[in-house]
Amino acid sequence: MNIQNDLDIRYSTVEDKDPLTKWLLDKETLKWFTVSTEKEVDLLSTNWVNFSKFNSSLTATLDNVACGMGTLFLMPYKKVAHHALFYIVVDPNKRKQGIGTSLVKNLINLSQNYFRHEFLHCEIYEGCPLQPVLEKMGFTCFANQEGFLDINGKLLNRLCYQYVFKRP
Amino acid sequence: MDEVEIRLATYEDKKYLVKWLSDPDTLRWYPMSNEREIEDAANIWISYVKYKAVITALYNGQPAGIANLYLQHLKKVSHQCLLAIVVGKDFRNKGIGTRLIQELIKMGQEQFHLKYLHLEVYENNPAFSLYQRLGFEKFGEQKNFIKEQDRYRSKIFMQRKLV
Repeated sequence: MNIQNDLDIRYSTVEDKDPLTKWLLDKETLKWFTVSTEKEVDLLSTNWVNFSKFNSSLTATLDNVACGMGTLFLMPYKKVAHHALFYIVVDPNKRKQGIGTSLVKNLINLSQNYFRHEFLHCEIYEGCPLQPVLEKMGFTCFANQEGFLDINGKLLNRLCYQYVFKRP
Repeated sequence: MDEVEIRLATYEDKKYLVKWLSDPDTLRWYPMSNEREIEDAANIWISYVKYKAVITALYNGQPAGIANLYLQHLKKVSHQCLLAIVVGKDFRNKGIGTRLIQELIKMGQEQFHLKYLHLEVYENNPAFSLYQRLGFEKFGEQKNFIKEQDRYRSKIFMQRKLV
């Protein structure tokens, strides 16, 4: 099914915290984030949607229902304000339909053209399904940290990727 | 004889931290650039005093450097930790950085049972060789991470296994 015609991307609002929390609490989704308990997820969601006040968070919708979210975590210091870290999550029931790719493309556009960033980066963990998507889009890995995440005794590496914007 | 002692930091040590970080030669190795940003970073740094994760080096009885472990409270990442260190400009090249890092390694192993310690250092920082000497290995480099007056510097990522 091609959903691209029905997919819309809008700025996030604080009301998007509820679906965000629900997606993050999904067991398969949660394993790709550092949080594990309901309380930790709630703190992450709050922090995440708070960036909506800077217009640095985007929500994907299908038929006006939120189905994914991507956010630029803007840097707090002047010397590092020329780039941003981003996080992304897609509704577990709406995966593999290009929503993640669409969100990342829109984040790139927002970062480059609105915030005038020079590059965009993100952190994922070994085996994360987002890895091939990032690589296909031109992100390159600049750090591979051994044993960053401990999932019940199984250690996973942290992989840091970035996308450098081309300037005319 | 010159002596370096290490003690747990107190909230009162924040004034030294702010003073050392405010020195322009020191500040270029950190992401902050003004008084407000230094104050903000120092508050976060010193807040780890409550976990007994911040140490102060004394040189002939005078505070000379501070280092801390940014302990992680999320279960999945609590086995590893980022460290931060600053040595006062007047106390450089006296082995204070080495003593502080050695003590953090010991605390990480014995007190907090960490598996890894990691750090971030900017391109051309002379402390890079100190970290290498103490067993930290580079695992990544992010080009152009710091931008100051249109000059860029990389951020280098280093890690050391504790077990």
